[in-house]
Amino acid sequence: MTQRYDAVVIGGGHNGLISAAYLARAGLRTLVLERRHVLGGAAVTEEIVPGFRFSVASYVVSLLRPEIIRELDLPRHGLDILPLDGTFTPLPEGGGPWGSGHARGGAHDGDYLWRVNDHGRTIRELRRWSKVDAEAYDEYGRLMVEMARFIKPILGIVPPDPTGRDPREFLPLAGLLRTFQSLPEMQQAVFVQLMTMSAADFLDQWFETDPLKATMSASGIIGTFQGVRSPGTAYVLLHHYMGEIDGAFRAWGIPKGGTGSVSMAIASAAQAAGAEIRTEAPVARIVVRNGRATGVALESGEEIEAATVLSSVDARRTFLGLLEPGTLDPAFEDEVRRFKFRGSSGKVNLAVDRLPDFTCLPGDGEHLRGAISFSPSVEYMERAYDDAKYGRFSTRPYIDMIIPTLVDPSMAPPGKHVISCFIQYAPYHLDPALGTWDDQREAFGDAVVDTIAERAPNIREVIVGRQVLTPLDLERTLGLTEGNIFQGELSLEQLFFNRPVPGYARFRSPVRDLWLCGSATHPGGGIMGANGRLAALEVLRSQRRRAA
Amino acid sequence: MTTGGAWDAIVVGGGHNGLVTAAYLARAGLGTLVLERRDLVGGTAETGEIAPGFRGPIAAHTVGRLRPSIVRDLRLREQGLSLLAPDVRVFAPQPDGTAITLWADVARTADGLRGRSNDDSQGYPAFDRLVRSLGRFLAEIAATTPPDIRSPSLGDALTGLRLGRSFRGLGKHDARTALRVLPMAVADFVAEAFESDPLRALIASRGIQYTAMGPWSAGTTAVLLTDSAGNDGGAPGQTVFAKGGPGAVADALAASLRAFGGQIRTGTEVTAITSVNGRANGVVLAGGEEIGGRCVISGLDPKTTLTRLLDPVEVGPTLGWRANNYRSHGSTAKVNLALSALPRFTAAGDEGRQLLRGRIVIATGIDDLERAFDDSKYGRMSAQPYIEATIPSLIDPLLTAQAPAGSHVMSAVVQWTPYRLREYEWDDCRDTLGDLVVRRLEEFAPGIGGLVVGRQVLTPLDLEREYGLAGGHPFHGEPSLDQFFLWRPLLGHARHRMPLERLYLCGSGAHPGGGITGQPGQNAAREILSDWKKRRP
Repeated sequence: MTQRYDAVVIGGGHNGLISAAYLARAGLRTLVLERRHVLGGAAVTEEIVPGFRFSVASYVVSLLRPEIIRELDLPRHGLDILPLDGTFTPLPEGGGPWGSGHARGGAHDGDYLWRVNDHGRTIRELRRWSKVDAEAYDEYGRLMVEMARFIKPILGIVPPDPTGRDPREFLPLAGLLRTFQSLPEMQQAVFVQLMTMSAADFLDQWFETDPLKATMSASGIIGTFQGVRSPGTAYVLLHHYMGEIDGAFRAWGIPKGGTGSVSMAIASAAQAAGAEIRTEAPVARIVVRNGRATGVALESGEEIEAATVLSSVDARRTFLGLLEPGTLDPAFEDEVRRFKFRGSSGKVNLAVDRLPDFTCLPGDGEHLRGAISFSPSVEYMERAYDDAKYGRFSTRPYIDMIIPTLVDPSMAPPGKHVISCFIQYAPYHLDPALGTWDDQREAFGDAVVDTIAERAPNIREVIVGRQVLTPLDLERTLGLTEGNIFQGELSLEQLFFNRPVPGYARFRSPVRDLWLCGSATHPGGGIMGANGRLAALEVLRSQRRRAA
Repeated sequence: MTTGGAWDAIVVGGGHNGLVTAAYLARAGLGTLVLERRDLVGGTAETGEIAPGFRGPIAAHTVGRLRPSIVRDLRLREQGLSLLAPDVRVFAPQPDGTAITLWADVARTADGLRGRSNDDSQGYPAFDRLVRSLGRFLAEIAATTPPDIRSPSLGDALTGLRLGRSFRGLGKHDARTALRVLPMAVADFVAEAFESDPLRALIASRGIQYTAMGPWSAGTTAVLLTDSAGNDGGAPGQTVFAKGGPGAVADALAASLRAFGGQIRTGTEVTAITSVNGRANGVVLAGGEEIGGRCVISGLDPKTTLTRLLDPVEVGPTLGWRANNYRSHGSTAKVNLALSALPRFTAAGDEGRQLLRGRIVIATGIDDLERAFDDSKYGRMSAQPYIEATIPSLIDPLLTAQAPAGSHVMSAVVQWTPYRLREYEWDDCRDTLGDLVVRRLEEFAPGIGGLVVGRQVLTPLDLEREYGLAGGHPFHGEPSLDQFFLWRPLLGHARHRMPLERLYLCGSGAHPGGGITGQPGQNAAREILSDWKKRRP
């Protein structure tokens, strides 16, 4: 039995679902095929410990494009993002094994740095650390908002092929250049720095407080195989400020019901627009006839015909896994093989019967309601990266901890909590001397708990359940190649017109009617959705052009 | 040549780029004066005594990146410059007693690699071709003044078209490759071509030499390709010596300048650049003497130029802040050895006389390099440093003519040695560094320590003090992606024009950056002369 669709989307992650929603809205008969029993890809909520529900992988919503929320009317489909207030950076007593950058017994030994959304309070807190930094913080914040305003349109640009000759592709860039020319000297200079510098070097220009720089620069390395001193990491610092200009919807927060509920809202919007969604329907291959994608074959043997095939899985899986060998030019296949994944992060989800109690600021106060960042110093961050460079997980990792139950108690039984810990670094390729990730999983989990215990000693007593996800687990369960959470390293050479393959950054592939729509494309990963939307709009535009 | 008591052009700093600019200006008929703080010109292109009777390169040691057009235009050969290029480009001894040798002859190198890896041997010519192709394109960019993006002129548009044409001339494949690899970490770049770790490290080392970055740092591929721009470098890189040492380049440039009517005053330190109504009009010397000039050109690094020689009011707070944040902390040191005999490298066997004539590179693996770099991140000198050594007396025996027979000089570039040490002062550990380097060399050339009859150690602090390099950076500033092309040294000032009218920058801090190339000096001269002609009625 074969069925015929206008469009079939491989993969029911948030980008695949967004593409499907836009295509269905435009009247295309659209089908989404998801391998797993749940939708959402990495944006998924699952009950791992009985009674405790986790945002298993992706855990915050940071940059979900406001136009998507608006156009797909996601709040009506159940999207509810709860704000996360502030970032709390606890410092270990005695500096920890690698110090906080301050001498043992120094003035800030066992201290904390706590920034909140209340501007005045944050400035007072910073002044406790450094008067200069407190002053610079304002100026820096204003500058970053200006920069975010300038850079935001890039997220909505379909990258041109720099070797191409179609001037229309370059129009959006020309507009951007004109805006750039009108910026003041300082903003022009800082834009260049943001695109080329390391996060830590960039911040050094304004601040001296080590935990402040370490915590801010951490956003630059999330999901990448880079350190805070690696060139090219500064750009992500802007993401925090993008939210401020997005207006009505708070872009930085946790979705009620976990990140899976974002996926469910999008799925509901897609279905309302007429899209069909099938779970437990793994695709075995993309069917290509006469150089055109004509549908997909499922692992069950079933074939589905479609005029257009969109793949939201990564480039390696799409081009090297789902196409018959020989379909593509070997030179193109080489380029795909070159695309770097190198997952560097892991996830530890904890079910606890009481809250962790931090030595530096005891009690269940407000400080637990935001992000809790284990980033005492730039050196600490850099040493965590050094471990990974040589194939070891960080003995003392960077941890971004969130306790979602404090803002959304529905995720755990009454009085109990779930704790989500994003961990870096955990390199996919381990030093062979360590064996495999299957051998190291628990040791990795222990390193995380040990690190937490240095600041919150009661953590070991309160844990009632623990889920450790190594990069290998992310690959196995979520289909993220090499465990890279962004479907490919966000390094400078893999961005914009180089993502995923130079010459194929416009969501198109060498196979006619086969498109990419996942995080492997511009503008990269995170629950942003821009990829899925842009890809769908490009598909629709090309169809209009063909029809005309 | 001066009218009304003022020079047409005053060049502050007689490093090789300052001399290049001055010579071009003098050639065009401008009354040109070069002011040099030290007693000799040339900056880091210096030949000096390492020990009594032993002459050798004090700082820079090879000169193969010098632009051929400069040699031609300024008639440097007629002024006595003679370049020596050995057949062997690089000799890289390994801990296991083997070595990788890169020759000027690509086929010979590929042949030699066969024992190590057949794939690498087969892939080597293609890699060499790619490096040359991208290097040629970069050479064109290097010789181009970056466009004015704020208010592009017709000339800028034409430049853009010309570069666009060259870019397309690379062909689609190389053009895409260029854009993909330039911002890449050099470790990734070499890994795409080769499987042998020592070969990867040896080639990648050109991406980190003279920088404060490691092989895994983004943008180091651009450094490697820039090193191959405009010369016969290819995959192994250039290995060219000036007869008489690098100081011979300075001597030839100075002779050329004088032949064109320019003048040089050594032992003359400039403490300020003066201006009136936002226009540079001369300099003040350390003794208080003032010299007037119709334009002033700084061959010093941008940080020194902007923050020490200019009135902060003229620079303004924004540019002042930017100049202060210009990244110029070097991580390179120099160790020069006077040797009583040719050292015996185990991996060279009896062929030392031939194999050691090029660059001797101690880079045993990518991770080894990265670990050496890691030390510098935490304010320590590398325990297992990266070394590029040369023995110029092998190809240029006159260097040791005054020393006992059989003597040699060895010049070693050493990394990483951060400008700021965390726990020590450089003044207290100069010998520690010297010992460390000799010990490292002993691993590959047992007995070399016993041959040392004289030693000279230049730490980054010494480079700063001796050559006036702010932060001790041999390139006047990090050759990183944030200080590149349109924004070298700073966005808005990449066209050699500084914030004052008639004030120019001509040294390594300007586009296209450092090394003994003369390119920034040549580019600056072109811009100065273009402005000069516009001012003529």
